[in-house]
Amino acid sequence: MALLEAQGLVKRFGDYSAVDKVSLSVESGKIFGLLGPNGAGKTTTIRMITNIIAPDEGKVYIFEEIAGPKHQEKIGYLPEERGLYKKIKVLEQLIYFGQLKGLSRNDAIHKARFWLKKLDAGDWENKKIQELSKGMQQKVQFISTIMHDPPLLILDEPFSGFDPVNTELLKQVILDLKKEGKAIMLSTHIMEQVEQLCDEICLINFGKVVLSGNVRDIKKSYGKDTIIIEYEGDGSIFNQLNNIQIINKSENRIEFRMNGDLTLIKGLQRDIFSTVLLYKYELSEPSLNEIFIDVVSKKEL
Amino acid sequence: MRFNQSKIQSIIKHEYTTRIKSKGFIISTILGPVGFFVLIGIIALSSYLSVSETPVKHIAVIDYSQKYGSEIVTLDTINLFLSNESEENLREKVLKQELDGYLLIPEAIIDSGTVYLFTGGGGGIALQSSIKNNVSYIVRNHRLKIAGLDQSIINTIDTEVKVDSRKVTKTGERKEFTEVYAVIGYILGISIYILMFTYGGIVQRSVIEEKANRIIEVIASSVRPFEILMGKVIGVGALGLTQILIWIVVFGLGFYIAAPLLVEYFNPEMMQTTMINAPEIGNLSKDFEIPYISPWLFIALIFYFISGYFLYASIFAAIGSAVDQESDAAQLQAPISIFIVIPMLFISVVIINPDGVLSSILSLIPFFSPTLMVIRIAASEVPLWQILLSVVLMIGSFYGAIWMSAKIYRVGILIYGKKPSFKELFKWLRTA
Repeated sequence: MALLEAQGLVKRFGDYSAVDKVSLSVESGKIFGLLGPNGAGKTTTIRMITNIIAPDEGKVYIFEEIAGPKHQEKIGYLPEERGLYKKIKVLEQLIYFGQLKGLSRNDAIHKARFWLKKLDAGDWENKKIQELSKGMQQKVQFISTIMHDPPLLILDEPFSGFDPVNTELLKQVILDLKKEGKAIMLSTHIMEQVEQLCDEICLINFGKVVLSGNVRDIKKSYGKDTIIIEYEGDGSIFNQLNNIQIINKSENRIEFRMNGDLTLIKGLQRDIFSTVLLYKYELSEPSLNEIFIDVVSKKEL
Repeated sequence: MRFNQSKIQSIIKHEYTTRIKSKGFIISTILGPVGFFVLIGIIALSSYLSVSETPVKHIAVIDYSQKYGSEIVTLDTINLFLSNESEENLREKVLKQELDGYLLIPEAIIDSGTVYLFTGGGGGIALQSSIKNNVSYIVRNHRLKIAGLDQSIINTIDTEVKVDSRKVTKTGERKEFTEVYAVIGYILGISIYILMFTYGGIVQRSVIEEKANRIIEVIASSVRPFEILMGKVIGVGALGLTQILIWIVVFGLGFYIAAPLLVEYFNPEMMQTTMINAPEIGNLSKDFEIPYISPWLFIALIFYFISGYFLYASIFAAIGSAVDQESDAAQLQAPISIFIVIPMLFISVVIINPDGVLSSILSLIPFFSPTLMVIRIAASEVPLWQILLSVVLMIGSFYGAIWMSAKIYRVGILIYGKKPSFKELFKWLRTA
C-alpha cells in the first residue's frame, strides 16, 4: 500500500457534492500532482486528507492506518491561502508551529534555524512577519510546513509569490525531499511545473476524478500530433489547414493539433517552407496544459 | 475524547506569552484602575451635580389662605415667591415662558392637605417632591398645633433618626458597613463585568485574526478545533486572571499598609461628623474600624470571573469563527447584547435590595451571576444554597457553551465570504 491512500472520498455541502468518490494514492519518493480548475474540489479533498474535515463517505489511510488526529503530525500542509502571525517574530512563529506538530521546543528551534539558513533566510530570525516581503513570508511559511520532517507533504501552489531565482531554489528543495523518500502531493495551476516535477497526476473536475495516472503515460496516450511552428512572414498559408484544433495562435507562432491525422500537414510542408522563414518546426506530444484544457472543457460540454 | 495535552499547552502558552509581553496588557494593567476610578468619580460627580445643581425654577405662589403661603415660601426661597397677581395673568406668563409655573394654595389647605401646581412642562420630579415635602411639613406642624401639641414636642418629633447597624458574627458583633459593602460590591461587580467582556472580546478578536490571516487552516491541520478553542480560551483567561491577581495584590497590600495610617491621620470624629449628624460621637471614635472583607469574597470574585469569562468567551469565539471581520461580528452579536445590558439595568436594584426576590432570581441566571451574584455576596449575606445552586448552574452552563461553541467553531473557521445568520449557526450545531 502507498503511504497515502484515499478511497472513495465523498463530501457534500447540502445537496451539492464538493467531492464525489475521489480515490488516489501517493507513494514515497514520488511527486503526485493534484490538478483541477478552481472550485473543482481540490481543497476539500486536501482538507479531508489532513483531517481538518471529516469525509461523508470513504476513508483515508496513512501508513495503512485510518487517518486520525495523530496522523496530522505526519503531514506537512502548505495551504494555498497563506497565513502567519503578522506581529510575531519569525523564529518564535516557527517554534510555535513546530510545537503544534509535536516537536519539542529545542527541536523546533534547531530545525527552524537549520531551514532558515538553508533557504538563505538566517538573518530573519528576529524580524516580525510584517517586516518581511511577500516572498520572504512564503519562505517562512514553507519552512513551517516541512520543519517537523513529515513523511507526507501536501503543497498547494507552493511557488506562488516567488521570483524565478527562489522558485528554482524551492524546486530543488522539493526534489531533494523527494529523493529523501517523502511522499509529496503538489497542487498547482502551472502545468509546466507539473511536467517538470510530477510523476503521477490526478485531475479533478466537479468533484470527480476525470484523469489520473503516470504523466508520461497520459501524454503518450494523447499521441504525438501537436505541431508548433514559429516563423516570420505571411502566415495566411496556415488558413489552408482545416480540420485542425488551434491551441494557440499569434503573429509569429502557431500551435495546433492534427487530431491524430498527420497527412494534411505533410502535404503542406513544402509550401510552408517556401512562404515563410521558419524558426522552429516541432512535432510533439500535447502539453499537460493542453490536456488539462481538453479534459476540463470536454467535461463541461 | 482524547486530548493532546502538550498541544493544548503549546497553544495556551502561545496565547499567554505573546499577550503578556504586549504593550496593551502592560498599559491596561496600569491604566485600568485609573480609568476605573475616573469612571466611578464621574458617576459620583454626576449624581452629586444632579442633586445640588437643580436649575432654579420661578414659581409664583398665590396664597388664598393668606397665611401658609409665606411659610411655604420661606422654606424654599430659591424657587418660590409670593405673588398678588391673578391666576389669569400668571397663566399668561407661564405660556409666554416668563414664569416656570404657579402654585395655588387654597384656603382650606390644612384640612384638605392639597395644593395645586401649574407648570409649563411638568417642572421635574425634584421640584414636585421638594414642594410636597415643604407643604406637608407646614401642614403637619399646623395640624399638630391645632391638636393641642406644644411647639417643643413638635420639635422633638422633627428630630431625624439614625440606624446604627451592627453585624452579628460568631465572634460577637462588629460595626456594620452596609454602605461600604454596597460600594465594594458595586466596584467588584462592575470590574468583573468589564473584565469578562474585555477578555471575551480578546478571544473573539484572536479567532477572527487567525481566520482573516488564514492561519487557522495551518493550525487546524495540526490540532483539533476543540483543542484550539480550549487553548485559546484558557490562555487568554490566564492572562485576565494574572491581571486581576496583580490588582488584588497591589490594592490588597496598599489597603493593609494604608488603612492603619488612615486611621491615625484622619480624625475619626471629623469623618463621622461630616457623615452623620449624630449625638454620640464619643462612641463612634472607639468603634472606628476597617470594614472586614471576607476572603470568600475574593474566591467568589475569581470563581465568577473564570466561569463567566468561559461562558462569554466561548460564545464570542463561536461568533468570531463565523465571520470574516470584526465589523460583521457586531451584527451577529446583537441578540446577545441583551445579556450584556440586563445586569447593568438591574445593578442598582440589586445593590438597594440584595436579598429581594428579583435580585435572587436574576443573580441565579448564569449570564448575570458573575456581575450580580458578586454584588450580592459583597453587599449582603447570600444563603448558602443559593451560592451552591449558582455555582452548579454556572459550571453547567459554561460546559454547555463550550460544547456548542466548539461545534460552531469547527464549521465556522473554514467558511469564508458569507455572513451567516443565527439560523445557520444552529444548523452548524446540528451538522457538526
